[in-house]
Amino acid sequence: MASLKSPRESLEVLDPTAEHTFILPVKRIHDGDDVSFFLASRAYADIMTFIFQLNASMFPRKIVDEAESSPSTKEWKLQDPDVSFPPIVLNLAKLLDTLNAIIDEVPPDLGPRRFGNVSFRKWYDLVKERVSGLIDQHIPSEIFTSSSTAEVTAKAELEAYLIGSFGSSQRLDYGTGHELSFLAFLGCLWKLGAFPETENGGQERAIVLGVIEPYLQLIRRLILMYTLEPAGSHGVWGLDDHSFLPYIFGSAQFSPAISSPSEIVTEGSLPNAPNPSDVAKLNVVERERQRNMYFSAIGFIYDVKKGPFWEHSPILFDISGVKAGWAKINKGMLKMYNAEVLSKFPVVQHFPFGSIFVWERDPAAITIAQSVHTANQPSKTVTPSARPQAPPLRDPLTETASQSTRAPWAGAGGMPPAALAGASSRVPARATAPMPSGPNQPTKAPWASATPVPPPGGTTTAPWATPGGTGAPSTLQSGVPSTRAPWANKRPPPS
Amino acid sequence: MSIGGSDLDKAITQLRACRPIPENQVRELCYKARELLIEEGNVVGVDAPVTICGDIHGQFHDLMELFRVGGDVPDTNYLFMGDFVDRGFYSLESFLLLLCLKVRYPDRITLIRGNHESRQITTVYGFYDECLRKYGSANVWRYCCEVFDYLALGALVSGAATSLSPTDGPIADNTNIDSLPDPDSEIEIETLNANGEIMYRYARNSDSQSNTASQGTSNPASSSPIAPTPSRTGPAGTGATSSANGSSRNDTGAVLCVHGGLSPLIDTIDKIRLLDRKQEVPHEGAMCDLLWSDPDEIDGWGLSPRGAGFLFGADIVKCFNHKNDLSLIARAHQLVMEGFKEMFESTIVTVWSAPNYCYRCGNVAAILELGEDGSNAGFVRRSNGERGGGGGGWVLGSNDGPNRNGGGGPNDNRRLSSVLGDSMQRTRDGPGRRYRVFEAAPQDSRGMPAKKPVADYFL
Repeated sequence: MASLKSPRESLEVLDPTAEHTFILPVKRIHDGDDVSFFLASRAYADIMTFIFQLNASMFPRKIVDEAESSPSTKEWKLQDPDVSFPPIVLNLAKLLDTLNAIIDEVPPDLGPRRFGNVSFRKWYDLVKERVSGLIDQHIPSEIFTSSSTAEVTAKAELEAYLIGSFGSSQRLDYGTGHELSFLAFLGCLWKLGAFPETENGGQERAIVLGVIEPYLQLIRRLILMYTLEPAGSHGVWGLDDHSFLPYIFGSAQFSPAISSPSEIVTEGSLPNAPNPSDVAKLNVVERERQRNMYFSAIGFIYDVKKGPFWEHSPILFDISGVKAGWAKINKGMLKMYNAEVLSKFPVVQHFPFGSIFVWERDPAAITIAQSVHTANQPSKTVTPSARPQAPPLRDPLTETASQSTRAPWAGAGGMPPAALAGASSRVPARATAPMPSGPNQPTKAPWASATPVPPPGGTTTAPWATPGGTGAPSTLQSGVPSTRAPWANKRPPPS
Repeated sequence: MSIGGSDLDKAITQLRACRPIPENQVRELCYKARELLIEEGNVVGVDAPVTICGDIHGQFHDLMELFRVGGDVPDTNYLFMGDFVDRGFYSLESFLLLLCLKVRYPDRITLIRGNHESRQITTVYGFYDECLRKYGSANVWRYCCEVFDYLALGALVSGAATSLSPTDGPIADNTNIDSLPDPDSEIEIETLNANGEIMYRYARNSDSQSNTASQGTSNPASSSPIAPTPSRTGPAGTGATSSANGSSRNDTGAVLCVHGGLSPLIDTIDKIRLLDRKQEVPHEGAMCDLLWSDPDEIDGWGLSPRGAGFLFGADIVKCFNHKNDLSLIARAHQLVMEGFKEMFESTIVTVWSAPNYCYRCGNVAAILELGEDGSNAGFVRRSNGERGGGGGGWVLGSNDGPNRNGGGGPNDNRRLSSVLGDSMQRTRDGPGRRYRVFEAAPQDSRGMPAKKPVADYFL
């Protein structure tokens, strides 16, 4: 596993006086080897730095008061009146409010449908149409005026990440890859110097509580309103159908208090924190979801699922048995995010790289030996993926060679020992689904990944085009998970 | 060791209790199952009576509910149309139980392959993760996948009766007895709830007028959706039931069962028989299409949003059925909120047997019973009423469950026509069809298990 040590304490802000050429972000990750490169790239280092920095800010703080003999503790709650939001954070929250209000303009389509609601596309189109104006309105233009000479502006680069944050309008799904895109959007703003400097994580805390939480609320509303499918679902065996970040920041909220990030411990809990096993108690969840991001995410699961928690969310249930406290869970969540989100081809393959998140080798990166994660990625060579669950990375329709080697059961003979070790580890948790193949739609073929479904309104029958008539396949009221082929459809319709 | 005889019965007992069997037994079971399945053709011949089931997706407790509602094996003959695994918590227990039953009662249960019975799909949608977690290694997953390769691609049900002998079950609370057809008429479709109470019943009717009636705008309870109007062979009440004996109408075509649907590469059932099925499901081609395609309101063929298989329209189905002398295609593969859905003038039906799919879809499930020709006595009688509470009287298509809705409202008609398609006419009379609709099994009986060791990340 890549080192979880953050190289820096906080993400470096670009020098506004220096010449900088902005670039429209482009896709760079095409196969498993590219994922390995990504894990040693400057972009990856920046993402990890940013997450660590936001995470550290959510740990409760020790307040040293001269008058008191012992330090008191300040925890950071949702809706915390003691956390002040700088104007940029308030503006970003307004921007999210506006996106939220657009939902009211686009009620869900009432016609028969199969999976996600097609009205999401209208919402998405409206957002795309208005996003530029919204950025102008809510983000101070000073941050875009760095001495750029090229035609591409900082704003254009930033916009790409924002627009990638709300799910796939084609697949009508949402997953951790989209969540990552929003994180990158905020990272761009940070690097552009949009957030004023403060001490003790005040800025970061404002970002998490004042922007990320409202973003998660927006996403939950989108998921409910348009029945967005989990992007890449391992059924009950994923951490969460859609999200990951709230489990990181929420567990930090309940960890032991620190004076500075260097004091972060890996065990223990804030004294008044609920027990991790309380996620199975509905009354505690209802109470804690008001103040804590972890429980807020758990509460949403209860909102949408019926059945025993341990059955529909076994990974979260198992984590609720961790005895070493919320700090242990927090550390585990960071490791898991690194392994199951950032190291997974299906999730990161759509992440675009530009001048802010840079596709270049990070000179400080430790060479990553072939790890379980990288070993599982599709590779340019013929190594079969060790853990079969690693979704097929390449498009089998165009790469017959890889197709023939992909059979996972064939792997036992040829896989590298390291990979084998990984294969036997019990790590079913997979928070992320293969993003490309919107997982929960009608079962999609996993190999369909990179290829999107045909755009609606295309010449061939758009499948989601509501069949309209009486005999239409009936369907769903809630996002109907139907399976999609992981390989996409490239075939022309017969005749 | 061997898993024959009493060992097999022990394994069945253990799996019925939702407890996995040891790895070595799984290996033995899978070996036996392959020996059995290899002898089956790509299209298995099945005689009515048989109960046809759709997707299960690891919802073990709901599978038990299915057996409660439909009758136990081997008392009832079953045909499962695939997608036993993935998404749910108990794919392993569900599939192994069905496999044990197959080995124990090979002539009583037929299993055909769904698109999830595949290595690649199970690594993405959960079954692989589940095996790793429950056994600590991928061996069991591997054994199961080897069985998947031998599962038949379809089944052809012959000898199904054209009409149902009415059940003598009680009428569901919300069903207006006046809306039911004359008891002497020939019953084509009957829908029962999980307690065996009649929700709807339709007489066979070649008169398109009745179709209009079924789509009427008023409450069906008062408009008698399908009156016992004369059938082709005789006036209501005189010839309808007798037509089951010897008249040309008795000659119902066969019923093709397949997980997904049709393929542009397959125009006759014999072409399915020619495929080499003993392999991982390919990404394209006839075998792939049979497991992946969906019917849709289009003309001809269309691209599937799933990225595999195709969409096919009513014209394709009617042409295929005519050419192959089929009266009906039964398929699964798509969630339908009402549990089943007939389309294209009842030439194809989707049967879905996983209630409240993924713990969140709020749908009901259904199974389809086809009776035996001639006797009309193919249905195994069983007592209902073991189930306390949550009884009958709920409305087809309601997502609210038994106790939460106010009964037959004005929407019933809409629901009805949406389930049964837009017309009863077709070129070939379909078999009598009895749908049993059921909801997710109660959950209170499942105790909370001990937590498993967490993933390495949290150690």
